[in-house]
Amino acid sequence: MAKAFKYGLKGITGYLEPAERELLRGLLDDVISMLEPELSGNEDPLTALIGLDMNVKEPSDRALLRLLPNVMKNDDAASLEFRQLTERSLREGKIGALRAAAMGLDRDELVLTREEAKLWSMALNDVRLVLAERLDIRDEADADHVHAMQDWSQAEDVESYLALVYNFTTWLQESLVQAMMASMDRKP
Amino acid sequence: MTTTVAPVTNTVTDAGLKGEERTDISEQSSTDLLSAADIPWNLVIWNDPVNLMSYVSYVFQSYFGYSEAKSNKLMLEVHKKGRSIVAYGGKEQVEQHAVAMHGYGLWATVEKASSSGDGRGRKGGARG
Repeated sequence: MAKAFKYGLKGITGYLEPAERELLRGLLDDVISMLEPELSGNEDPLTALIGLDMNVKEPSDRALLRLLPNVMKNDDAASLEFRQLTERSLREGKIGALRAAAMGLDRDELVLTREEAKLWSMALNDVRLVLAERLDIRDEADADHVHAMQDWSQAEDVESYLALVYNFTTWLQESLVQAMMASMDRKP
Repeated sequence: MTTTVAPVTNTVTDAGLKGEERTDISEQSSTDLLSAADIPWNLVIWNDPVNLMSYVSYVFQSYFGYSEAKSNKLMLEVHKKGRSIVAYGGKEQVEQHAVAMHGYGLWATVEKASSSGDGRGRKGGARG
């Protein structure tokens, strides 16, 4: 069984079984592949270099839209313009955090610096946002319903399996955030 | 938002609004230097059933440098009222905050202060 993250003399530490690491690695890789921009052959290298993406569109996939939301609630044109300027670097930042967490899983011991812990918490959050969309969590009642799934012997279909995976990543992120808060309390 | 293993246990008080904020906020909030047209934009964080209450508070503390008390107060406002204005200032500054919030996975939008009933005044603002 995984152990909750905690803050102690060595920093922020946690423990995951090999199967849990494998599960988490798969989830991180899934979100990375969602976020990797499609390569278009005729891209202007200069605009790519400065992070512009004039071909970008509002994502049609709800999960991807949740990761890359519109910046204005009722102004699609302004949101799209903002997307052209910022979405590429946002995707890259997210992929960076997800990769950092995936690399951390390769080490025997999970000992995280504060910066690594921050990247882990962001990566776990993005994984949870995607799982929540797949599970159709729209409100607190949906979340409670999913949260009630705690018994792996109940995992009979894809949805109940996803719910258990979601609850596992939720538990892991909560323990990580608590450990990060403890580390903030003890340092200036 | 959601809470699982350990709910946020910290008592929410107004202590953070009475001077606990870290100094980098007040130093950079010299709104007099901004032109009037640049001022009235709000950064809004919206509630969702996924983000952990503790994580949202952590983001407010670590990114904006807000005190724990102020961060919890804003987080609870998001949770209970569905949204909260967590920073305000010039358009570009607020947009920069929004993209940072998206990086953390929070659901953030920007809006003109006048477009919402609870727009805040010109004083203060978040980190530049």
